Amino acid sequence: MSTGKRIALVVGGIYLFLIVLTIGIFGWSRLDNEGFKPQNEFKLDDWVDLGPFSINKAVLYLVLASLLTIGSMLWISKRMKARPNRVQTAVEWLYTAMRDNITGGNMDDKMARKWFPFIGTLFLFIWFSNLIGYIPLPTNTEHMVDVFGVEIPSFALYAATANLSIPLALALVVFIAYNVEGIRAKGLGGYLKSLIPAGISGFAVVPIFALEVLSNFMRLISLSVRLFANILAGHLIILFMTGGLAVLLGIEALGVVIIPFGIAIFLFEVGLVATLQAFIFATLTAIYLGGAVAESH
Amino acid sequence: MLATFLTFIFAAAEDGADAGKAIALGVGGGLGAVGAGVGIGIIFGKVIESVTRQPEMRDEITGIQWLGFALTEACFFYGLVAGLIAFFL
Repeated sequence: MSTGKRIALVVGGIYLFLIVLTIGIFGWSRLDNEGFKPQNEFKLDDWVDLGPFSINKAVLYLVLASLLTIGSMLWISKRMKARPNRVQTAVEWLYTAMRDNITGGNMDDKMARKWFPFIGTLFLFIWFSNLIGYIPLPTNTEHMVDVFGVEIPSFALYAATANLSIPLALALVVFIAYNVEGIRAKGLGGYLKSLIPAGISGFAVVPIFALEVLSNFMRLISLSVRLFANILAGHLIILFMTGGLAVLLGIEALGVVIIPFGIAIFLFEVGLVATLQAFIFATLTAIYLGGAVAESH
Repeated sequence: MLATFLTFIFAAAEDGADAGKAIALGVGGGLGAVGAGVGIGIIFGKVIESVTRQPEMRDEITGIQWLGFALTEACFFYGLVAGLIAFFL
């Protein structure tokens, strides 16, 4: 038997043994827990009360992501060497991918040079805010933990992008940017005319135009809700799979049964969804910008 | 007699509202997952098909594949968010 097979068998055996053990100790009886409110994980408690500008954990994550975006890129660009080390190679690869694939692939060269900083920053910012959302940080001020006499907030997962306002603000920036760019390239009349697909004439123009305008506003919703819902759903599933469900229903053994799925979902979210959503947001921004100035719709 | 009957109906209606919320969440999540699942299956199936036909196009296809995957996957979350809104609000 190979080593890998043996390890898999041992891990599976421990998993089954733990399930049987917890069922043996606690039994499998449901005892609904009314005190635990899973939606409170996403509640924003004001830490510093400043009216609409209050500091809460979403603001903390936002600041962290911005600092990471600016700091890491400045740090790497200051330490550029002719013979790159591994980090520099990775960042250079990322830079080329953002410039050539995301930006350059969807608009012409002049536009790409102009808009690459915007799209690159957007990508990096969303990427960093997604990724730091999977690092447990002491932000849950609702439940304090006593560590050697010092009250510290319990560790919690939260992401700035799991709050609708941040993706919506980014989507609004993108929406204004591509509309303004389109109007600047073609003039207001020309831009509105270019919304109508080629080959439509006569009476059909009016409903088609209305639909196209509507679909432009729908982009605002789809762009923000896609990012928000992906991250929120990921966090919810991680929350439920790694203990939330067991606490909610009061079945101890259920927690042991589903924790491998929780770990799998966590790895899936960190490895794929966080990067993919940043990539999608940046790519769609580039497509919208390119489409707004392109000659034919 | 009528009063007890009405109380019973109102109680049932209140339970019904809760049940309706649960149904909304189930339908929003479940049917959304069905549609997105079919869509994602089609995307990956077509990617396999096109890569086996033209292996030299692999890099280009991979980029489009992830774009399509994320766009399709997002449709599931629209349903889920609608269900969550119905359930909690």
